[in-house]
Amino acid sequence: MSARAYSPPWRRTIGYVLLGVFALVYLGPFLIQIATSFKTDTDAANHSLSLVPHPVDLGAWKRIFGYTPNSGVPFGRWLFNSTLVATCITLGRVFLDSLAGYALARLRFPGRKAIFLLVLSVLAVPPVVLLIPRFLVLKELSLYNSYSGMILPICADATGIFLMRQFFVQIPVAVEEAARIDGAGIWRTYWDVVLPLARPGLITLTILSFQGSWNEFSYFLIATSDPKYNTLTTGLAKFSSGSLGSGTQYPVTLGAALLSTIPVAILFFVFQRQFVSGQLSASTKG
Amino acid sequence: MTAPEQELSDLRRATTRRRSDNSAGERTRSRPTRRRAGGIRGRERWAGLLFVGPGLAVLLIFLVVPIGLAFYVSLTRWDGLSSPFGNGAKFTGLQNYRSLLTEDSLTRQNLAVSVRNNFYFVLFVVPIQTMLALFLAVLLNNRFLKGKSYFRTAFYFPSVTSSIAITLVFLFLFQGGGAVNRLLDFVGIRGPNWLADSRGVFHQVLRIFGVDAAPDWAKHEFLNLSWWDWLSGPSIAMCVIIILVIWTTSGTFMLMFLAALQNIPEEVEEASEIDGATQWQRFRLVTLPMLRPALLLVLTLGLIGTWQVFDQIYLTGNNPATITPAYLSYNQSFQNSMFGVGAAISFLQFALIIVLSTIQRRLVGTGEDY
Amino acid sequence: MRIPAARMAVAVAAGVAMLITAACGSSGPSAPKTSAGGGKTTGLHLTLLIGSSGDAETNAVNAAAKAWGTKSGNTVTVTPAKDLTLELTQALAGGSPPDLFYVDASKFAGLVKANALVPYGDQLPNKADFYPSLVKSFSANGKFYCAPKDFSTLALEINTDMWTKAGLTDADIPTNWDQLEAAAKKLTKGGVTGLVFSDTLDRVDAFMRQAGGSLLNADGTEFTANSPENLAGLQYVAKLAKEGVLKFPKQTDTGWGGEAIGKNKAAMTIEGNWIVGGVKSDFPKLHYKVVELPAGPKGKATLSFTNCWGIAQKSKNQAAAIDFVKFLTSTDQQMAFANAFGVMPSVQSAKSQFTAAFPDQQAFVAGADYATGPTSLPGFDQVQKDFDSKILGLSDGSSNPQSMVDDLQKNAEAALKSAG
Repeated sequence: MSARAYSPPWRRTIGYVLLGVFALVYLGPFLIQIATSFKTDTDAANHSLSLVPHPVDLGAWKRIFGYTPNSGVPFGRWLFNSTLVATCITLGRVFLDSLAGYALARLRFPGRKAIFLLVLSVLAVPPVVLLIPRFLVLKELSLYNSYSGMILPICADATGIFLMRQFFVQIPVAVEEAARIDGAGIWRTYWDVVLPLARPGLITLTILSFQGSWNEFSYFLIATSDPKYNTLTTGLAKFSSGSLGSGTQYPVTLGAALLSTIPVAILFFVFQRQFVSGQLSASTKG
Repeated sequence: MTAPEQELSDLRRATTRRRSDNSAGERTRSRPTRRRAGGIRGRERWAGLLFVGPGLAVLLIFLVVPIGLAFYVSLTRWDGLSSPFGNGAKFTGLQNYRSLLTEDSLTRQNLAVSVRNNFYFVLFVVPIQTMLALFLAVLLNNRFLKGKSYFRTAFYFPSVTSSIAITLVFLFLFQGGGAVNRLLDFVGIRGPNWLADSRGVFHQVLRIFGVDAAPDWAKHEFLNLSWWDWLSGPSIAMCVIIILVIWTTSGTFMLMFLAALQNIPEEVEEASEIDGATQWQRFRLVTLPMLRPALLLVLTLGLIGTWQVFDQIYLTGNNPATITPAYLSYNQSFQNSMFGVGAAISFLQFALIIVLSTIQRRLVGTGEDY
Repeated sequence: MRIPAARMAVAVAAGVAMLITAACGSSGPSAPKTSAGGGKTTGLHLTLLIGSSGDAETNAVNAAAKAWGTKSGNTVTVTPAKDLTLELTQALAGGSPPDLFYVDASKFAGLVKANALVPYGDQLPNKADFYPSLVKSFSANGKFYCAPKDFSTLALEINTDMWTKAGLTDADIPTNWDQLEAAAKKLTKGGVTGLVFSDTLDRVDAFMRQAGGSLLNADGTEFTANSPENLAGLQYVAKLAKEGVLKFPKQTDTGWGGEAIGKNKAAMTIEGNWIVGGVKSDFPKLHYKVVELPAGPKGKATLSFTNCWGIAQKSKNQAAAIDFVKFLTSTDQQMAFANAFGVMPSVQSAKSQFTAAFPDQQAFVAGADYATGPTSLPGFDQVQKDFDSKILGLSDGSSNPQSMVDDLQKNAEAALKSAG
């Protein structure tokens, strides 16, 4: 341990106070969100800061789950779409990105340098710039308004390829050479020998891909217009003023938003360590 | 190497200058393969192409081709309702770019407003989120505080949630009679009607000093916007988005700083303590320089991300106080059926981001090359 | 013992299987693969996109869809759009539009030009029953494109409780601008603003017309946006706003005039028929009356709004859709809609029924006589949005009425030129 093992108590108190204040700032909005979903519209408007509904009203939740004559929230559909699409995209990315990353790191084939340069330059393209262009391509390929259109175009990405390549490059060549000497073919070397060693990278990629595709909004916005393809993100955005006319019924809106957050919150708390370490290694590798 | 050592050496390597070519791989590769027969080399070639094939196909079809197609569309006047290659699209050459940049038109005005909004957004978000992230990381790095992982979770949690869900919560909090204004009431400040207020922050500050309206020299226009309007600062409505984005992304950057801080070898810290420097001096002269790569990474990611803000702007609607080029491009295409203009805006935005990234790289360097 | 080639094959097969699953998981556009516009009219699934004014309207349309569906053996999915123009344009551009959708009169011309609509109006048996002015709004190139679904006019809604509490009586109901200003002043107190209406040209234009101005000249060939009459109308609005007796919904944390008056943030508002339905379900305790808009210096004027049932050119169920429209425009169904959310039927045969059933909506009906429709010009959307965004600034003086109309003139002329 270090030479200085003592910190004056007043400094520690300040530390805790600061941490507490910031924790309140970072978690406060969620608490207010939960409380508001149990308020009536007028209560929410008049006592927006209070964490105690007055009276406790389940109207918003009843509406969300379809127990009122007003249109409910097709939450089940949104959840299904989000899960399906996010899972497919994540699987696609993990599989395809690591294949491509390995090829760029370790296999010699014509055009390797050119392809790597292409990957690098694509990294520089801001995703938002691609919104309209992708819409155009989807339209031309008749993939608009379909699950394929939501999944295929982003089931491999330059960032993931680059990330996996960096991981693979750092695995000692000796490992592969040993496998080769043992008689393993290229696929066997990759699948059984190298891939397990790149596990941190794979986990990182999985977490990042899942988080990214689960929360993806702008791409799904331009890839579909039929409400049956709405995910938790697009469904919520369109619901927040579509079904409610131009009124501002916040308890319902916030309740629906809360529901969309719950799946990813659960995943986060369960896989917390992986989320955090994935974020860290992505930042240092990338 | 064991896994933790591997991780450590990876991280150490990441903090020093490193060239990202594959020369290391190449050099050791050539020796063994030269001894082998051409058969292995041939199989390797096919394997390589096969491995990289699907990923490359996706990139080509859905990244490269769209860019080409969009460039073509930006040279046409197309309403999106028929094929862009048919009669529905009239080839107009650089007309879209002209009306965006050189002609006195509403289109140009919209572009100028959106660029101005995004500029101030970047100007406020990047420094503040960087400093806040660093501050929180330093706070959490203190070994004398317990329960740090809980706080770390709390700070990082907003980054994990979807931008749409969070924006809706903030729209509620920042209403005229919303939670934020109630809080301000406690402190005696009368908060503005945030999202309805399109006045620029700088204008409000100048008003305090008595400058109420545009001085004559500022009435001249640049790109359909008077200089006075260019200097308005972010609108108060935009400030809501600024606060929202800082709140959401500081957690991610905090983690990066935390990793970098924990990477600083203990010997360095102890040595500086023994030297008798004050805490602030230690931070400034020892810690900060060691954080340089992380700092540059956070700045770069921040810059690239903020120039693309879209999701939150979509929810605040077509409001000149908050539109950004990304939203404008979407809006021109789908609201006004002017896909040519929308595509042209995308390219201008692309060019802008490239230029700014290059400038940023030249000015501050990168800490590690891509 | 594992064989490398077999492992490779398995992996590739897995990858391909995944892609196939993803592809198979897709369903194409919602219309089933029946022949386009063919005679088939049962067992189909239709989609209808609406721009709803609130729950009342959504529920009413849903009910009508269900009723027709049961009768005809089809199903209809009704989707309320967050932003109808945006979502419709995207769906049309994507090549898979909904079978039916609302078409606002101001957007009609653009859709016709893009060949997005089926001109089915002449096929309707009750086509002579529609109000001629409405038919005109939805005809182009000599063809009657789509059936008007209803129409509304703007009127002044007054919260009667607040009215009597402020000591005002029926005699004080404003019939000109000065009286409106006086009433608004009397009613602005506590947390309540006298008058709240949406900050859009779709309200302000009424005042401009009351001052004798109009956006286009008589034959619609030139813009007259910055005429002194229009300026006078805008200046009146600016005066009220600066005095604080007029506020706009965003300033009261509401989304539209109906919500403002419903939540007791406003004593008066200017809205169309749709406020009836919107307020009935959300604010049942509100007591209000509807009166005609006060006259301006040059007389009475109000704005009318109408939508038609558009059928997409790309729809594969055109015959069924036309049948649905016949159902929706029948007198009974239109009266059901009127009951639910207050719009006025577009068929003349329902007029007496309507005035008998809803005497308190007399003001809306009266307005039909001197109402003018919105400007229909491709590209005008942007111009209007730009104007609308400056209206809020009238409250604190940051927007100048003269420059607002000048900009409107300039931008509208540019839009007219590029549309031609």
